[in-house]
Amino acid sequence: MEMTITESGPGTAVLKPVGRLNMASAPHFKEGIRVALGRGFTRIVVDLSEIDFMDSSGLGAIINGLKSAREQGGELRLAAVSWQAGLVLKLTNMDQVLSVHEDARTAFADV
Amino acid sequence: MSRPVRHTLRMATPPGDVNTVHDMLEQVWNDVPEIGPEDRLKFEIAVIELASNVMRHADTGTGVVCALVVQTYPDRITATLSDSGEPGDVTLAGRTLPEDALAESGRGIPLIQALVDELRYDSDDGFNHWHITRTLGG
Repeated sequence: MEMTITESGPGTAVLKPVGRLNMASAPHFKEGIRVALGRGFTRIVVDLSEIDFMDSSGLGAIINGLKSAREQGGELRLAAVSWQAGLVLKLTNMDQVLSVHEDARTAFADV
Repeated sequence: MSRPVRHTLRMATPPGDVNTVHDMLEQVWNDVPEIGPEDRLKFEIAVIELASNVMRHADTGTGVVCALVVQTYPDRITATLSDSGEPGDVTLAGRTLPEDALAESGRGIPLIQALVDELRYDSDDGFNHWHITRTLGG
């Protein structure tokens, strides 16, 4: 799984994984979060627009990232969630826990 | 779909992983294009969750050898995943989502149960067998 990390504002980075976010790619995704936090980005947007499959292992990696961001006083938000990923969020009730936004560029527009 | 279509994948992990299963399912969808996108996606999530569960829990350090059989019928699609590993977590009745909303695991089995009509486990001669069935258009 490829992933880009792009600064989108002060202390804010957009992580954009490509392909499948599953058991095989979850470690790489967690590493990307760790790198972003290590660079001082505590507001993390995960842009799912290029993800064509996500399962509960991928969801677990996102939750891991959310907890890591919060430990540093930050936050993690999701953007551009596909129908498939949205279904996984809904069936696990995580759509009530994770902050989901349409556009990665405006995910932290309220802070 | 005039007759059942059967696909079989035999796999050792490592080097195989869940992406090997994705690739096998892509072949199924190519061969049975009449199955709609919603059925495909829901069944694929369930199969991948099942495979992940087996790879995570059946592996005692030497990897897992497993076989996945997917069969399509006019009204349903089924998968049987068999492995020779440890039984792992086979409790299926009453499985619910984790109480801790920020738990990083524990959602796989409840997710499968929300996506398919049947999830069943049995074992014989040291082999674990996981069966799932999804009614098409359900």
